[in-house]
Amino acid sequence: MKRILPVLTAALILAACSAGAGDAVRSDELPPLYPDYVGVTIPVGIAPLDFTVRGADELDVAVSACNGAEVLRSRGGKCTRFPAGRWAALLPKAAGDSLSVTVSARFGDSWKTFKSFPIYISEDAIDYGLTYRLIEPGYEVYSHMGIYERELSSFRQREIIENTRFDGCVNCHSFNHNSPEAMSLHIRGPHGATILTGEDGMQAYNTKTDSTLGFCVYPYWHPDGRYIAYSTNSTRQGFHVQQDKLIEVFDLDSDLQVYDIQDNKVISAPQIKRKGIWESFPAFSPDGKTLYFTSAVQVEIPGGLPQSRYNLMKVGFDPATGTIGKDVEMLVDAAAAGCSITFPRPSYDGRYLMYTVCDYGTFPIWHHEADLWLLDLETGETRPLDEVNSADTDSFHNWSSNSRWFVFSSRRDDGLFTRLYIAHFGADGAVGKPFMLPQRDPENYYQNLFRSYNVPEFVTGPVPFDRIRAQKMINSPERVQFGFRWSD
Amino acid sequence: MTVLAGVGIYCFFAFRYPYHIHFQEQCQLFESTWAYFASVASVPGGFADWLGRCLTQFFYYAPAGALIMAVLLCGIQLLAWAACKGKSLTAYALSFIPSVLLLLFFCDENSLAGGAVAIALSLAAAVLLSIVRKERLRRFLEAVAAPLLYFLCGPAALACVLIVIAREIGGTGAKAIPFSLLLLALFAVCPLVAGRLVPYPLSRLYVGIHYYRYHNMVPGMLWLSALSTVIPVVVSLLPGKGKSILPGTAAYVLVAAAGVFLVLRTADMPKEEWMRYDFMVRMQMWNRIMQAADLRNPDGPKTVSCLNLALAKTGRMPDAQFSYFQNGPEGLIPGFRGDYTNPVSTGEIFWHLGMVNTAQRFAFEAQEALPDFQKSARCYRRLAETNIVNGDVEVARKYLGALCNATFYRKWARETLSLLDEGTIFEKRPELARARDCRLHEHDFLFSDTEMDSMLGLLKVENSSNAMALDYLMSWCLLRKDLDRFVECIPLVDAPAMPKSYQEALLLRWVLTHSDFNGLPSYISLANVRRISEFISDVQAKKSAEAMQKAYGDTYWFYYYYRYLSDNDLSRDEKNTSGPDSGPYSGGL
Repeated sequence: MKRILPVLTAALILAACSAGAGDAVRSDELPPLYPDYVGVTIPVGIAPLDFTVRGADELDVAVSACNGAEVLRSRGGKCTRFPAGRWAALLPKAAGDSLSVTVSARFGDSWKTFKSFPIYISEDAIDYGLTYRLIEPGYEVYSHMGIYERELSSFRQREIIENTRFDGCVNCHSFNHNSPEAMSLHIRGPHGATILTGEDGMQAYNTKTDSTLGFCVYPYWHPDGRYIAYSTNSTRQGFHVQQDKLIEVFDLDSDLQVYDIQDNKVISAPQIKRKGIWESFPAFSPDGKTLYFTSAVQVEIPGGLPQSRYNLMKVGFDPATGTIGKDVEMLVDAAAAGCSITFPRPSYDGRYLMYTVCDYGTFPIWHHEADLWLLDLETGETRPLDEVNSADTDSFHNWSSNSRWFVFSSRRDDGLFTRLYIAHFGADGAVGKPFMLPQRDPENYYQNLFRSYNVPEFVTGPVPFDRIRAQKMINSPERVQFGFRWSD
Repeated sequence: MTVLAGVGIYCFFAFRYPYHIHFQEQCQLFESTWAYFASVASVPGGFADWLGRCLTQFFYYAPAGALIMAVLLCGIQLLAWAACKGKSLTAYALSFIPSVLLLLFFCDENSLAGGAVAIALSLAAAVLLSIVRKERLRRFLEAVAAPLLYFLCGPAALACVLIVIAREIGGTGAKAIPFSLLLLALFAVCPLVAGRLVPYPLSRLYVGIHYYRYHNMVPGMLWLSALSTVIPVVVSLLPGKGKSILPGTAAYVLVAAAGVFLVLRTADMPKEEWMRYDFMVRMQMWNRIMQAADLRNPDGPKTVSCLNLALAKTGRMPDAQFSYFQNGPEGLIPGFRGDYTNPVSTGEIFWHLGMVNTAQRFAFEAQEALPDFQKSARCYRRLAETNIVNGDVEVARKYLGALCNATFYRKWARETLSLLDEGTIFEKRPELARARDCRLHEHDFLFSDTEMDSMLGLLKVENSSNAMALDYLMSWCLLRKDLDRFVECIPLVDAPAMPKSYQEALLLRWVLTHSDFNGLPSYISLANVRRISEFISDVQAKKSAEAMQKAYGDTYWFYYYYRYLSDNDLSRDEKNTSGPDSGPYSGGL
């Protein structure tokens, strides 16, 4: 009987499908889904993976788990609409296993039933949500933008702060090990400031000092919460005249420093502020004793831009004294390989470091060839993440707090508007097929979304950000001035 | 009288100010979708703003826009009149004040129709509330209406609150004061509550989010209009129905005269002229631009750039450019400014030159710079085109998808999508094929407005049929008074006869570097040689600039010595007393 039951159930599903789909023609092809959810690996706590089938006028979809014992249906309409409650109840039952999805679609007057495909359900938990900036993928002028928080188990998106509240641009937001309690947020424009939130509440800072290049950007928190590593970049843009490329973002100069929240001082050292060398994109190791960053030999701008190549470096850091180590060590010699590294992000378990590789420069967002790479910090081996890379830009990435998931931005959808993808990263280093951030009607949603996702970062809970207070603080001229000291 | 005012308003917008109407339309993209409505109407005043945008989409046709403005402003006058309790002639005359102030408001291209719609809705609500006779019911409805109107119309709904208060006090006297204060307090609290719900600072919630394009400026005229709606109501409530204050006819004459005078004074005609030229560029009315310039020689920097584009598009630039006022290279290709006006028309120049990426950047930046965060239908269309030319079809489809939701762009967008599907886009849209062929294929570099001559030269070198690039290159050198570079580029000219301005420039350089005319290239006409000799004689005779303009205003020589005097020119003039008579050729001829 135990054997017959699943078979009977499966037969009933197929019967139901064909009943809903009339006399559908069976096909051995996989359905042309948007987004492509075929064979993706998802966590239990993810919102329903609704989708459309390209060119289809109507769908009849059955999602089954546990050998067909549990079935979820979505009938009618061009887009599936899986009930959120039933979806949430179904996923835990398939954890460690997979869902089987059978799609029947009507094209004109005829129905077609595609080959079933799996969606793998990982037992690894994912964080509460994502934060990101939404901004038009533009040039120098900016319009409406904001930093938002998205709950991953639903489609709920909430404003953290939008630039309708003040004149300016919001960027460079960062949380400490994905904790929503401590955030660094940079505001540019006439009300420029860096907002820090944490145990001591919220404060607006002027991060530019007489001893540093400019405002602090590209933040990365030290795990103990006392320090934040920043770079200061004298950034410019250039605009290509040929069609293959649009924009080049580059630095005329850049340095690193570590901000000590307790002493209100930025700490720098000659070895991370070298003349003729551009240092950028700092990131602390999970134990807080190493500072990873990228660095390049200065070149003539704009002529030498195609020769500007950043290597992956590291330097020691003593959190007890706030001392930056003397010896800078090269981890990956990208310049020798004819490429450039940006956005180093160590996994929180300390085993891997993910980074973006492009042909040259420090801003891969506008480089179609940009891909994600992985460095095994134990073995020193590097490899491209072919499991997730696409033909177009694959770029900014961050790890979940348990290091079992990572989010990255990609322009694979249309070549311009950056969308978010999440991929599973197994304990054995195996990487699952990534899935696009789910939306209730994804084709319609993304088609009508003229803003790009920027700087995605996981958060372990809702961000307790007092927007009204932040708005007042930003619009007020009062800023706490960063101090400066050299490292011992 | 209302009809007469309506005719006057229509005539003003249809015949004197039509390009402001067009300009308003191109600064928005009204989409007939629920999502668009929800996004616009979800903030205080959003519903009025949505209605205003809905009306503005018809400004695509200036007569329709003028008619809408006339109906809207006359409607406001009639509603202000209807809100009056007593129907005196004085109150009737004063009921025109809000509309007159709004007319002044709309002389500014940054004024948004949503503000006028908000006042109209508020007045309509005041009129409807006045119909209710039962006091308790009316006051209940008034208390409900105050926050509701704030949400629908924004803070301009204060007009309704003030009218209601005036009528309540006028009706029941001091007994109505507590209720009136309560109503005012209720209305004043609305922005405080809204501040917790929508991402706008309190100042904007009190002043209005979408009444004016620049959110950091208070639309004073709109607010005067909103507040003035209560004037006729108060006058109508006064004993004697206002007759003792001002005779009705006199009031009418005063309002009408002040209105006409102020509107004519406030109308920004230089901007209207630029908008006219920009509109003609957008519609590619090259001959009309030439006709307009022949009637009145434009002298605004942006207007001159439109004229130069028309000269190039009609093939007249090398011969006729200096027959018109020129204000330096900025009048040929204006530099980039991060606002929402300049990049639009400058982007047109790059588009026609075949600098597709730059045209795309300018279109994108122009709409990003719209201070009220709207999108521009005109820019979306250009972005769709540039992306098609660049082969970024999926991105183009996104823009076209949005344009499919816009009434006056739907047909074009759908046709374009069909052509993309068929793969015949470049066959059916020759303008796109031309841009594709003209753009750079072999050379890539970062755009630099200080190396415009190199970029223009490469456009010509890569595509010899790009005559416009050559015209712009030569003109760029001439307008910068860089005769050495001009001469270097002369071999690129492949014309049966050397154009007039080129001959003049070559002659000028000749006399600056030679002691006589021996060996002068044969393509320089004798007539030009004679004329430059006369020019030099007249300069040496120290004829006035006016006389020189009259005699030589159509020559490059006049431009070279009397126009676009850069710092170098000025310092040279300071050192050498004045003009060309102290140049190297003066002794040579």
